[in-house]
Amino acid sequence: MSEKVAIIAANGGMFDAYKVFNIATAAAASEKEVQIFFTFEGLNLIHKQAMHDLEMPAGKEHFAEGFEKANVPTIPQLVEMAQELGVKFIACQMTMDVMGLTKEDFVDGIEVGGAVTFLEYAKDASPTLTF
Amino acid sequence: MIQANHQLDAKGLACPMPIVKTKKAITDLEDGQVLEVQATDKGSKADLAAWASTVGHQYLGTLEEGDVLYHYIRKGSNEPEVEKTFEHTVSLDEIESGDGLILDVREAAEYAFGHIQGAKSIPMGELESRLGELDKEEEIYVICRTGKRSDLAAQLLANNGYKKVYNVLPGMNEWNGKITKEI
Repeated sequence: MSEKVAIIAANGGMFDAYKVFNIATAAAASEKEVQIFFTFEGLNLIHKQAMHDLEMPAGKEHFAEGFEKANVPTIPQLVEMAQELGVKFIACQMTMDVMGLTKEDFVDGIEVGGAVTFLEYAKDASPTLTF
Repeated sequence: MIQANHQLDAKGLACPMPIVKTKKAITDLEDGQVLEVQATDKGSKADLAAWASTVGHQYLGTLEEGDVLYHYIRKGSNEPEVEKTFEHTVSLDEIESGDGLILDVREAAEYAFGHIQGAKSIPMGELESRLGELDKEEEIYVICRTGKRSDLAAQLLANNGYKKVYNVLPGMNEWNGKITKEI
């Protein structure tokens, strides 16, 4: 069994964020090495401001109450926990250039890289997940 | 309640927090000790069992009381298999037909989630201080999960003048007979 899990975060909504960070923290807690490649809207999930106010899918706003009731951690909390558990974040250089973002726009401790950086890591990872 | 070395309160927390907290808590335990995880997340039962087997711990079982789940996990060790040195051994078949005392030296929580009917529980760590509960003339079959702890326990008994001591090999992990629970 591979000891590496590779995740691509390509979408920027709140539900996307939970899918990405729940799987990432669970894998890290199971002693796997985990890297997440954030690309296009996925960059929202680690953007200093945007991650505090991620959108719910249209028409699903009523789930907000459910999140609160289930005592689900917030996205910034999950981001912090993931980093504490050793999950590595890689922001996509090309998307950052297109959107005019710099490393300082994101949470501390991220790395910036291109598609090849991620592919090199993911070549022997299992599973590789895309959200 | 089942005896454990440490308790972790993960009540009210949603996935993946019970796993994350458990991972952190278990690092403070010594190999072989038992952690009790209290949780209300219903998915935590399947998750913790899967997590334990992935990372090499032993999931013992879960008790439910009201809305709270009490999970028991014994910390696994990465120690290599040591050679068992106690020379008198018996098989699982032999203890079924024998009429000696079955002495189960696993942790109390392991015993609670399944033991051979009639077996007496004295965890390995308590054996030395509880020798008085055992009869020196009686035939004693010492059992644990794999035969490792019972090997040490059998040596300890023999060194203290117990004459008819046998280590049961392999152990509870290959016992297919009836199981009694005490929960």
